Order: sequence, then structure tokens, then C-alpha cells
Amino acid sequence: MSESRSAPAGAAAAARLESFSYDDDIVRKFLFVTILWGFVGMLVGVLIAIQMALPELNFAPFLTFGRLRPLHTNAVIFAFAGNAIFTGVYYSTQRLTKARMFSDGLSRAHFWGWQLIIVAAALTLPLGYTQAKEYAELEWPIDIMIAVVWVIFAINFIGTLIKRRERHLYVALWFYIASIITVAVLHIFNNLSMPAGPLKSYSIYAGVQDAFMQWWYGHNAVAFFLTTPFLGMMYYFMPKAAEGPVFSYKLSILHFWTLVFMYIWAGPHHLHYSSLPEWASTLGMIFSVMLWAPSWGGMINGLLTLRGGWHKVADDPILKFMVLAITGYGMSTFEGPMLSVKAVNSLSHYTDWTIAHVHSGALTWNGFFTFGMIYWLAPRLFQTELYSKKLMNTHFWIATVGIVLYIVSIYSAGVTQGLMWRAFDETGRLQYPDFVETVARLIPMYWVRVVGGTLYLVGVVMFAYNIMKTWAKRPAAYQVPVIQAAALPKAYSPEPLRPGANVPTTAFGRFMSLSFHRAWERAPILFTVLTLIAVAIASLFEIIPTFLIKSNVPTIASVKPYTPLELAGRDIYIREGCFNCHSQMIRPLRFETERYGEYSKPGEAVYEHPFLWGSRRIGPDLAREGGLKSNLWHLRHFQNPREVNAKSIMPAYTHIVENDMDFDVIQKRVDAMAMLGVPYGDAVNKAPEMARAQAQQIAADLKATGGGDGFETKEVTALIAYLQRLGRDIQTPTVARGSAGSPNTVATAPASAPSVAPGGGHP
Amino acid sequence: MSLTELMSGANLDGYAQVSLLLFLVAFGFVLWRVFSPRYSATYRKAAQMPLDDETPQTPRNRGE
Repeated sequence: MSESRSAPAGAAAAARLESFSYDDDIVRKFLFVTILWGFVGMLVGVLIAIQMALPELNFAPFLTFGRLRPLHTNAVIFAFAGNAIFTGVYYSTQRLTKARMFSDGLSRAHFWGWQLIIVAAALTLPLGYTQAKEYAELEWPIDIMIAVVWVIFAINFIGTLIKRRERHLYVALWFYIASIITVAVLHIFNNLSMPAGPLKSYSIYAGVQDAFMQWWYGHNAVAFFLTTPFLGMMYYFMPKAAEGPVFSYKLSILHFWTLVFMYIWAGPHHLHYSSLPEWASTLGMIFSVMLWAPSWGGMINGLLTLRGGWHKVADDPILKFMVLAITGYGMSTFEGPMLSVKAVNSLSHYTDWTIAHVHSGALTWNGFFTFGMIYWLAPRLFQTELYSKKLMNTHFWIATVGIVLYIVSIYSAGVTQGLMWRAFDETGRLQYPDFVETVARLIPMYWVRVVGGTLYLVGVVMFAYNIMKTWAKRPAAYQVPVIQAAALPKAYSPEPLRPGANVPTTAFGRFMSLSFHRAWERAPILFTVLTLIAVAIASLFEIIPTFLIKSNVPTIASVKPYTPLELAGRDIYIREGCFNCHSQMIRPLRFETERYGEYSKPGEAVYEHPFLWGSRRIGPDLAREGGLKSNLWHLRHFQNPREVNAKSIMPAYTHIVENDMDFDVIQKRVDAMAMLGVPYGDAVNKAPEMARAQAQQIAADLKATGGGDGFETKEVTALIAYLQRLGRDIQTPTVARGSAGSPNTVATAPASAPSVAPGGGHP
Repeated sequence: MSLTELMSGANLDGYAQVSLLLFLVAFGFVLWRVFSPRYSATYRKAAQMPLDDETPQTPRNRGE
């Protein structure tokens, strides 16, 4: 049985009514996988949270924190939130345009292609295949798949807009357009890389420029993957749930354009006090602070959509989820600009404060909005009543308590860390010179996080159970309502601006009456191009000078490329995800230079493909690691970190000690680097031989100092070679960190060089 | 002369501010457009769009 309805249409158009139906099957598919990947992503999140507090749970090699953390972030962002976006977009776009999706085939190709990408990520990340760029870890073949599937989605979406039957593009669709176009631009440009094997590549950008591109991408992945599509969904589903129109359509237009234009500038605030040029950092901060206005415009618009209907919130868990989601968005977008202010950032950066910030936004805004949206959709898509409203309510409260426990504990951990790092005693010395002291203090807070995260996960299980039971109640066959709506006439007759007014007849008249914006609103291709221009202007004004003005990256003559063995060691460092815990960027702040040594210079990273500055410190900075400790200390540290430092929470990396080094791949990697412009000289012809020679030197030292025999063929030798090289090219005095195994004394890098000089000379 | 040298010598100190000005001009236009009372009726109509697409269905259970 089917029913039909007529869309409002003029008498003339009524003669050309078209019948069609919506494709809800694709929406149901995306809904199911949203729940599945949400569960997986959050389960991995709980596991790595436990690993932070209980390092023995790092089951090397593929279940270690370093490899699982990107799996968690990718699963939650691209699998859970991504599929939630597609669920909301496919449902709302069809209804807002009064058109079935452009192509059922493309819809299915999008669905299965995206799931294939997720599976590929779930397999490759734990196996250590990573580009080491946050939220862009996936290797080049998967990146190509992402680009292809995204284009399929874009064609399907834009095609639907073109064949729509509703003249005006509702504001939700604007947000979808901005998301689709900007994510494509970000993904393509950030992931340009030089392949060095089937699942290995090097970023084409180096050092400062790579860091800049990464955080241009990274921040805007938050903006255009986790914010704008959800705002679009908010503008559709919030009025639905509240049963009233959006508070202010005018505000939605205003905050759309400001958000799209300003967000793209904000990325450099992730690189304050780094080697990024000062002007770029300041620009990022200013635009981040300005973002307060449009972000809160969106929040206010969402919340005030409930005007006159607040009493419904007490009784309707869906509204509770949505209200808390929007409130969480408001809190996060208040905190984000605050964290971009340099003075605040100097305390928060590298600490768990950033982690708390990300989670407060993700767990509320993305998580709760998705839950609210799916609870609203499930009865409609499954054409039956929701299994249990009581269970939905319980889910809300248990997840809310989980969020509170999570963020309170991790905010406390972050501030504790930041304050301990910068504390000086009355004699002017670091109060906590041993980094591990600042980690040990956090363990109780990490356990509270585990409890909070587990409660949130329990909520997800309740959610999944409720939706599955609802699905089980579905009728034997779904109804497929036939909709009737008039086709859009090809020629558009401008409407008067207000009843009784004349339509401007000249182009100038239309321009002066600002009806051009109205024209944009009904022209999807033009609108897409304009959005692209808004995004591109901001990007180019930052990117061009960063890449083309020489003074932004002053070179240092003594900085040379890594030797082939060091490069191989760096690849192992990347494979194991060490950059998830260790930074390689010393900020020009007194407490940093006292603890780690001379601050990092942009010229030090000119051969770093990719940059490895890190974004947090669970372990100490390694930018000046070279020469601070013996080769034997490093070996012992990988075998059992707690043997050299009882309070360490680093996983044991016994597999690196046991694995044989694959010398054959080194040549290909050196060649790829040379193609990127790294001056490798002779190494392009004899990289494996050079690597073997250097490995033998280190292995001889390990043997002589009691480490054991046979390390010249082991991976750990390459990793030691890399660590011993770090920071040595600028040869300046450094201060040892005072962690166990190294004396807390002033040392000069050349004088305290390891017993085997790393590299055996530069290539 | 390479592009890098050209850009380095261009002395683009106020370069980023140009973009800010461009944005302010565009923002002014949008602001004017949005708050012009003549468009109120259009916006009221547009705001109703999500509420104008309901396809009511009677909930049923398995087997119905």
C-alpha cells in the first residue's frame, strides 16, 4: 500500500506534477553502519584509555597504543561521524530537494566504497602503515580510494541538487555543499605524497610547510567534517524534533558565510611557538578568536529553535540529546578560540587539555547529535514505534555522566601536566625535572577517564540494542510513499522582493537590491564555486607566502639528510606511532629550553618528510635526543621501559628488538626522498650498503657495552641510529632531561656523543 | 629569477590584511542583505522548508 501527497505548487506547475519516491534503503544502510563503527571506535577508545593507565595491556605489536590511537580517531571521525553524516545528508537532502538521490548506483557505490575504506583503515593502521599525519594517517592507495568515493558522493549530491523540484536551497544544503567541497580540497592537498612502496609514502611537503599543510587540513577536518555537516543536520533535524522552524533563518545565512570564510584560516593555532613563522601563527590566532561569533551564532540558532517549546525537553529524550549536543558545541567553540590565544596555548599545548577539548566536542556535539538524530529517524525509517523510550532516556543519562567523568578528569590531567612542566622552584630550577613525574601524577585521572569512557560505551550498547529491537519490530514490507511535486521550470521568473514591489529590470538594479544572493541560493553549481572561492582565498593567502617566501624557512648549513639507516629508523618510529606520545619540537619557552635544550629552528626540519613535531607529550620531547643516552640505554628501554624507568607508561617494543631489518626496502625509500629534493648524493646508489655499515657500528657498541650479540640485522639498531641523530646537526649545548638512566646535568651534544657516532658521516 | 625569489622580494607585509578586508566587504554585503526587511517573507518561507516534507506513516509491527 502506498500513499501520495502533493507538494504546494502553482496552478501552472500543477499540470506537470511528477511522481517519485525517496531512497530510504540507503539511509537505513548508513544508519546501521553508524552504530556498528561507533561501537568499534569507542571500544578501541576505552582500550587505549586503559593502556594509558596500565601499560602492560599493550599487546605488541599490533595492539599497542601508538598503532591503536589513530585507529580510534579515524574510526570515530570518519567511520562513526562520517556514516552519521551520510545518514543525515541522504535523508534530508532528498526531502529538502523533493527529489530521489541522483543515482541509486552512485549511492550504493558510495556506501560500499566508504565501508571498504574503513575496513582498509582497520587493517592497515594496526599493522603500522601510516603517514604519521593526524587524521590523515592512511597510506596513499587508501587516500586515492577516499578521493574517488568522495567524488562519487559529490556527483550524487550535486546531481540531486540539479534535478531538484524545490527552487530554494535550504540552508542545511549550503552546509553540505561547503563540507563536500572543502573536504575534497583539504584531503587532496594534504595527502600529496611520493610513493616508496605499495603502502609507504613520503609527504611532498617538508618540515614547516608539511606542518602547516597538516594543520590547515587537521583543523579544517574538524571544521568541515565534524562541524559544518552537523550544523546542516542541526538545521534540518532540530526543527523536526522541536516541531517548529529554525529560530532565525537570517542568522543561519550570516553564520554560514562567516564560518566558511573564517574557519579555514584558523589551522596555524595548532603550531603556536613552533617553527612556524610568527605572522602565520598570529593570523591563525586572530581568525580563531573571531570564530567565536559565527560558532555561537549557530549554537544560539539551534537552541532558540526550541523557543516556546522548552517544556518538551523534559519529556522527550531526543530533544535532550540534541540540546546537550548543541550546548556541547557551544562549549567547545568557546574553548577553541580561547585555546588559540597564545598565552593560553603555551600552557595547554602538548597536554591532555587538548584531548579533553576534542572529546568534549566529539562526545557531545557529534555523538549526542548522532544519537538524537538516529532515535528520531529509526521509527520513521523502520516504520514502527521505537522499542523503548525508557532505555533511550537511560542512555542519555548514563552517557552524560560518562562525559562529565571523562572531561573533568582529563581537563584536570591537562592542567596538572601543563603546570608541572612549567613549575620552577625558588632556586630557579625546574621543580619537576624528571618528565616521568609529570606522567605518574596523571594515572588516577586516567582511571577516572576509563570509567567515564566505559559509561559512554555502555550507552552506545544500549543505543544499539534499542535500535536493533526497533528494527526487529519492522513490518513485513516497508511502505514506499509516492510523492508528487512539480518539476522546476527551466526558465526562472524573478519574484518581487515583497508583495506589490517591482522586480528590478537591470543587472545593476538587481545588484543594488542584493537579489544576487537569492540567485546564488537557487544555483547549486554557482553556490559551490563561490564556497570554493571563499575557502580558497583564505587558504592561498596563508599557503603562498609560507611556501614561496624564503625567509619563512631559513636554512642551516650544517643540517644534512638522515643516513639511509637513520631514515629506516625514522620509518620504524613512524610505523610504531611513537609520534603519538613524543614531540620533536622544543618551543622557545624557558621551561622547555631548560628541560630539553635549544629551541627548534625551522631550518632543522627541511629534510623531514613528513614533519614529526607531534601534538602531545605523554613522553618527553625528543628533538635533542641524539647523544643524551647510550645505545645500550635505548635498547633496554625498548625491551622493557620499566627496567630503566620504573614509572614509565611506554609499551615494551620487544618485536623491534627481535625483528630482522629489511635492508632491501631502504634503497627505494632513499630514492623517493631524493626525488622529493633531499640531496642524498651517493646514497641513491648504495643505500643498503651504507645502512649495513652503520648498523654494524651500533651493533658493535651494543655488544661491547653488554647489550648482546647480533643486533646488526635487527630493526632496533635502525631506530637507535635515528634517535641518536636527533638534534645533533645544530650542535648546541643541551640539558639532559634527568629521567632515569640519564644524569640531570648539563651536557654538550658533541662531547656527550654516543660511543658510536650516529651516521658515520652524512651522505 | 625564481618564483621564490620573486615572492621573497615582493615585501608582502600587508598581504594577509587584504584578505581580511575582502572578507569584511563581503560580510557587509551579506549583512545588508540578511537584515533588509524586504526579504523577511522569503526567509519565513525558507525556514518552514524542513517542516514541509512530512510523509506521515502509521506505525506498524512485524507481520502487519
